[in-house]
Amino acid sequence: MNNTIIQVKNLVIAFGDFKAVNDISFEVSRGEIFGFLGANGAGKTTTIRTLCGILNPTSGQVLVNGTDVAASTAVLKPHIGYMSQKFTLYPDLTIQENMDIAGSLYELSRQQIRKRSRELFEFIGLSSIAKGPVRQLSGGTKQMLALAASIVHDPELIFLDEPTAGTSPQTRKAFWDLIRQLSHQGKTVFVTTHYMDEAEYCHRIVLMERGRILATDTPENLKKKYFPQKPIELTFTQEQQQTIFQELRALNVGEVSVFGSKLRINVTDLDAFQSYCQKHSAVFTASEVEPTLDDVFLKAISGAK
Amino acid sequence: MTTLIKHILAIANKEAKHIKRDIFTLAVALILPMLFVGFFGFVINLDYHHIPLLVRDNDQSSTSRELLTQASAAEYFDVIAVHTPGEAEQQLHENSMRTMLIIPPGFHDEFTKGTMARAQLLIDGTDNTMASLATTYMQGIVQATQHALLEPHIPESPVIRTRYLFNPELNSHWFIVPALNTIIIGFLAILLTALTVAKEWENGSMELLLSTPLRAVEIVVGKLLPYFVLSFFDVLLVFVLALLVFRIPFQGSFALYLMACMFYITGALALGLLISVITRQQQAAIQFGFAVGLLPSFMFSGFIFPIENMPVFFRYLTALFPQRWFLQISRALFLSEAGLVDLWVPFAALFVFMAGMIILAVQNFKMDVEP
Repeated sequence: MNNTIIQVKNLVIAFGDFKAVNDISFEVSRGEIFGFLGANGAGKTTTIRTLCGILNPTSGQVLVNGTDVAASTAVLKPHIGYMSQKFTLYPDLTIQENMDIAGSLYELSRQQIRKRSRELFEFIGLSSIAKGPVRQLSGGTKQMLALAASIVHDPELIFLDEPTAGTSPQTRKAFWDLIRQLSHQGKTVFVTTHYMDEAEYCHRIVLMERGRILATDTPENLKKKYFPQKPIELTFTQEQQQTIFQELRALNVGEVSVFGSKLRINVTDLDAFQSYCQKHSAVFTASEVEPTLDDVFLKAISGAK
Repeated sequence: MTTLIKHILAIANKEAKHIKRDIFTLAVALILPMLFVGFFGFVINLDYHHIPLLVRDNDQSSTSRELLTQASAAEYFDVIAVHTPGEAEQQLHENSMRTMLIIPPGFHDEFTKGTMARAQLLIDGTDNTMASLATTYMQGIVQATQHALLEPHIPESPVIRTRYLFNPELNSHWFIVPALNTIIIGFLAILLTALTVAKEWENGSMELLLSTPLRAVEIVVGKLLPYFVLSFFDVLLVFVLALLVFRIPFQGSFALYLMACMFYITGALALGLLISVITRQQQAAIQFGFAVGLLPSFMFSGFIFPIENMPVFFRYLTALFPQRWFLQISRALFLSEAGLVDLWVPFAALFVFMAGMIILAVQNFKMDVEP
């Protein structure tokens, strides 16, 4: 079996004159957690909808399992699960009714649906199954249920569009635990998010900005690529943060920013910086820190401009 | 094939659950037909009885008394005597009376001499239905009076005896009630389905449906099924009310009537879906639904305005609306023993409309989320 499950080649999706997605290409391997990162309006949702076969590409090609999605959506759809950004369960129906409907759309029998529902309820940690309509549930539970409903037919490829948007930190953490478990089961998970910290959980990520891809790689490699020299953090032993901040800027050794009581520098002139540090060793201590994906994203955007 | 049926049943089952949870829709679907029957059956009554008739009798003769006796005997008029000219004028100005008969002095003498006897009938012309009926009634009363007073002396003059077929008493209930299902379905069915697809687009669940292996035809037919059951129940309800409450005879074939209902309901529901599929917004769908459902039911069905009397253009225009064809079938089956041979044109028209609406709804169903 080929290890590539999604192949996107020169994909363009235009609405009138506006190109929501502008000539992007990437590949997703089987079993990966593939993150699609970008601000709102970067083209993440448009891309994911096209991959699910519910939006037609203007030009370019999307291959899933080697078949062209635009040409044969019917072949693709039984094998994918899609959780859209909007809450798409029926709020007037109960949990079980929603699961029944989701399952019946994939021709599962009643027994299959009930068995699968029990598994999934356990999977998402839902201990009691409320008899009331779904609209009465908490936001986190609804989100978990939407995930459960979207994978009731046990698809090999799962698309999650901003699954954690607007939920609590606990829900986000729990949700990502589930995503990792799905990946362990051999599923391919394609997930979009605008939370950079979540992207750390992905095997590989794409950074998107205004319809274009800025970078595609593992989080590790992206950090190395954009930060060959790790950011340096200054911890002060004397109250001179303001003075040092201004001196460093004047010295032009790299970009300096204030981090609470600390300073952080993306050093460009290492020699000049090190000699400065030796002179002021009594005032602060300098240490390298790991760059975050936030840092990577900001740097990638500024580099693209 | 089995996939098709499974998908259709899945959607139908889902819609049925929505309907069960939606008290408002259920209430509308069950109460509206009864309101319609009550309103059109009881309130709108095209027959006029006991029209108040002010009478100023200045002759006070046996002839004038005979005329008034005849007038009240027929139950068309309630005779109210006015004794002074002032009283008559006051009543007229207050607009409280709609008809007034003034019999001048010498009425009896003119009548017995065989010259033209004259009296004045004043009628409120703002209600022209009542006005024309009152005129007709009064002509009948004058004839009856002539008969009563002159019959011994002169031979009977030739008269046309009119017999009304199918509705011998020209009972307006017989005319209106068979039309009620036309109005109720034409209106209710369209509104019921006009919201369903638009609602799914608005709350985002359409996106989910589209990502599943469903096809447009499966969604359309699946959504039609439960609303068909609901509408069919309404039709039977109105039918039973018509027979029990209004004592309308049903002369034709019940099987044919059911078949016509099936075509008509499905066509109307599919039209509602088509509106929903095209607008994709509940607000717009409701407005369209009202315009398409309510107006033609009244204007172009023949319910109120006879199609034969319409200008040529409008007469052909009515052919586009299933209301016209269903009404024709409905009236024919209630009041006569018409068969499929007599009614094949309206049946064919209903079938074409139904098939056309389903095909259009499926073809216009958007299977992608492009705005």
